[in-house]
Amino acid sequence: MGSYILRRLLQSIVVVIGVTLVSFLALQAGGDPTYLYVSERASTEEIEATRRALGFDRPLHEQYLGFVGDLVQGDFGQSLSYRQPAMEIVLDALPATIELTVFALVLALMLAIPLGVLAAINRGTAWDGSVTTFAMLGQSIPNFWLGIMMILFFGLYTRWFPISGHVPFLTPLLNGDFGTAFSNLPRTIYHLILPGIAVGTYSLARNTRLVRSSLLEVLEQDYVRTARSKGLPELRVLVHHALRNAWLPVVTIIGLEFGFLLGGVVVVETVFSYPGIGRLLFAAINQRDIPLVQAGVILLAGIFVMLNLVVDLVYVRLDPRVKLTGGGG
Amino acid sequence: MNLRTNAARTALAGLFGAILVATGCAERADDTIIVGLSADITTFEPGMISSRDNSNIAEHIFGSLFTLSAAGEPIPDLAHTLEITEDGTGYIYTLNEGMTCHDGEALTAEDVAYTFNRIRDPENRFTGNAPGFVYTSVGFQNAVALDDLRVQINIARKNPIAFGLLTEIYVHCKDSYEQMTLDEAASNPIGSGSYRLTSWTRGSEVVLEKVREPGNFQRIVWRIIPEASTRTAELVAGNVDIITNVVPEQIEAIDGSGRAEVHVVSGTRRMYLGFSLSEASRQMPGGEEIQDARVRRALQYAVDVPTICEQLLSVECDRATGPVNPPNGKMNLTPYPYDPDTAERLLDEAGHPRGDDGNRFSIRLQAGRGRYVNDVNVVLAISQYLQDVGLDVEVELLEWASVYTPLLRERSMGPLFFLGTGGGLWSPIYDMTDMAAVDSGTNYTHWSDDRWFRRWPDLAAATTPEETRTIIDEMLQVFYDDGPWLHLYFQPDFYGVSNRITWDARRDERVYVFEAGLK
Repeated sequence: MGSYILRRLLQSIVVVIGVTLVSFLALQAGGDPTYLYVSERASTEEIEATRRALGFDRPLHEQYLGFVGDLVQGDFGQSLSYRQPAMEIVLDALPATIELTVFALVLALMLAIPLGVLAAINRGTAWDGSVTTFAMLGQSIPNFWLGIMMILFFGLYTRWFPISGHVPFLTPLLNGDFGTAFSNLPRTIYHLILPGIAVGTYSLARNTRLVRSSLLEVLEQDYVRTARSKGLPELRVLVHHALRNAWLPVVTIIGLEFGFLLGGVVVVETVFSYPGIGRLLFAAINQRDIPLVQAGVILLAGIFVMLNLVVDLVYVRLDPRVKLTGGGG
Repeated sequence: MNLRTNAARTALAGLFGAILVATGCAERADDTIIVGLSADITTFEPGMISSRDNSNIAEHIFGSLFTLSAAGEPIPDLAHTLEITEDGTGYIYTLNEGMTCHDGEALTAEDVAYTFNRIRDPENRFTGNAPGFVYTSVGFQNAVALDDLRVQINIARKNPIAFGLLTEIYVHCKDSYEQMTLDEAASNPIGSGSYRLTSWTRGSEVVLEKVREPGNFQRIVWRIIPEASTRTAELVAGNVDIITNVVPEQIEAIDGSGRAEVHVVSGTRRMYLGFSLSEASRQMPGGEEIQDARVRRALQYAVDVPTICEQLLSVECDRATGPVNPPNGKMNLTPYPYDPDTAERLLDEAGHPRGDDGNRFSIRLQAGRGRYVNDVNVVLAISQYLQDVGLDVEVELLEWASVYTPLLRERSMGPLFFLGTGGGLWSPIYDMTDMAAVDSGTNYTHWSDDRWFRRWPDLAAATTPEETRTIIDEMLQVFYDDGPWLHLYFQPDFYGVSNRITWDARRDERVYVFEAGLK
């Protein structure tokens, strides 16, 4: 186990470095960003001076190697827009996105499991049809459209929920200000409801279908028939025998899904003016704030590879048939 | 099991109730005004501030020596008098007595000198509006405290627009800023203005509290709402009082809501179609033809600017006659009318008759997309007007930041290009300095008409307002007749304003809430 983890960590480093190279080249493909950091009336001399100050006068390979050299010393560079350490700005925005992502995932799972079970145990009935239809709709509707519609109805017409904004919970909590964190919690949740639904709907729909199909497969197995024939209550058969195995594909998905949600909340964060990492990176890309984008990419890549590792380890724990191998499977 | 279930249900109900109570208590106080901005704030470091949204907040935190009214007139702020030395290179300000910064430190001439010199210090590597534009434009040399209340700002040479530009320097105190790192200064400003920063949640909101006059509201909350439709929704829902950058398609929804209305002002941004007149552009399709001033004049008649304003910008506008914002432009210049017959006749006379295919010559029109109000449709409309008079126009709509901006800066766009440049109301010369020299940074057209450029020394040497005005008018006549711009309009700015407050929008894009009040 220990050597497996070490191997995966080393692989993760290579992955993260590779991601930084790809993102660096992609950002550089758009040309010199100096012009975005000078006034529209800047003279040629001012433009040159700014280019030198920002380091864009160096050859690309020097810029990248300089960045990697600083990176190994823990220096992620300074944001060109904010003129503050890039990783600090990204880490400032991360808690908001984690709150949104966790909220969306929890909402999705809380509903996906009962809906999936409901559909599976009532296969072929109106319940099954309704749940399946809902799941298809959930996977078809674009989350930004859903967000806008919810803003219109719940934010503007009925005024049941706030249209935009964020009240922090994780940030004061991590800073040790528990009083503020827990006094903020009701308003944090209140502000998370609409964007959380927008983000989580696709996940809910997909997981519902996954639970349904996985459970249907498991319910046909011999050990489930055996459990029934032993006279166990149906609920016990479902929960302790069937669902426990039907759960496994969902577990695999959760870890990966969290990673996808983390990186995929850009549009929803923009629609709801939610100050998370997605919106921050979107603005940074538009501004060609290369250090900020790189810091964000490294962080998200690191989280994603760690999640993959955790999912693999959890999977082994849940399913004794699965063994960790040298290939990392 | 039942006890656990009941406990869980009770806990959930309690949490939901707490949510409702907590949120129901969040009503807006009468002493608070909320402004919705379209772009994030990046810094409060005075030497790094460059965007308009950032400046709008900074101007409530920091004082300046003088400020400008909505009409462009000077208003004393931290200083009450100004003397200019005989050679025009020394600006001596006399400060008000008894001023302090927000930390209680006395604000004296030494602090003002420190402010100016700190912004210029190359070790700080500031790249904001102050060092990058203001100092370069005025030729800033240094600042010296003459005594406790008098400070002298020294510039390289006499400059008729230096006064207005120096109003953009945000004054801060020496002791407090010497103790801060640059990072700390960027997020913990200690200002000299009416409001102090009480909290900044990056990407979300900035909260200011009033510490002195002027200001009718005790609290100003600046909320960052990048998405236009979300900003509008917040305004109509009554959650914000003012929003910036309303898109024309949402005007009806706001005006019809009964809770807010749209205020439209003719902004100071000069929108124009540039004729690229550089040697390089001669090689481009249509580049040779537009070198002829007769062709440029003919094309002035080809475009129906008032209809563009009405149909595409939802405002009525008067066509511009030059680079200077009204009312500072030449008074007797009438906008070119829309007269395609005259355009065709003048093009014939200039030696470009229609060919067998109906076209006179081909030309390329480049524009960046998404930068100005409805810019894509405006450009397409202009290209159609030009095609109607026989030009075969190839339109290229380019990504603004990465593609179009480098072309502009390197003068390789065109030969026709669509652009808007910021202007002002406090001096016609400021607007004209876009073309202060053939090689100046904002002379994107590379226009080099000697009748314009040789008058700049005359302008600098003028000793009376009348003499200055005469020279300005003569220059503007040249620009009107044979200039490098196809005159369009001054970009309208749309603000959404809640019916809860009174507030007048300014033409210069400054969002000041000092004078805003409750109805």
